Amino acid sequence: MDREQKMLLKEIMEYSFALVETALYLDTHPFDQKALSLHNDYSRKYHELVSIYQAKYGPLTNDRMSGCPWAYINGPWPWEIEFDMH
Amino acid sequence: MNGEYYGRDKTMLLARAYVPFQRIHQVYSPSEALEKGTLFPELYIPYDEKEKMLEEGKYYG
Repeated sequence: MDREQKMLLKEIMEYSFALVETALYLDTHPFDQKALSLHNDYSRKYHELVSIYQAKYGPLTNDRMSGCPWAYINGPWPWEIEFDMH
Repeated sequence: MNGEYYGRDKTMLLARAYVPFQRIHQVYSPSEALEKGTLFPELYIPYDEKEKMLEEGKYYG
């Protein structure tokens, strides 16, 4: 996995986590406009990044459509990725 | 004496637990949030005091 792919994957993880945070906050503050707009920005960005990633590198999750052969099993698996990027 | 100890305003009752209501203010960037384990600076409470001092972080939003 090259550096560019890793960076993109890390960015996806970052937005995914930010979405967990805003979603949990919104569960108890459903009318908070600032949190909503933050959540929506993150959501837009997250889905953008996921489509870019999947167009380039294949499916991130096994609920995606696939050509033949089944693309989900193409490596690397998460535990095969060296995430040390500092 | 007991009255003094538990506060005069009587808004906090004995044997009740209270959680202050969070109000969103500034947030960390997504990359900093993932590293710190929270999006919210007010919830960033590392056990290690040194870690707390290391990086105050950039806020946005």
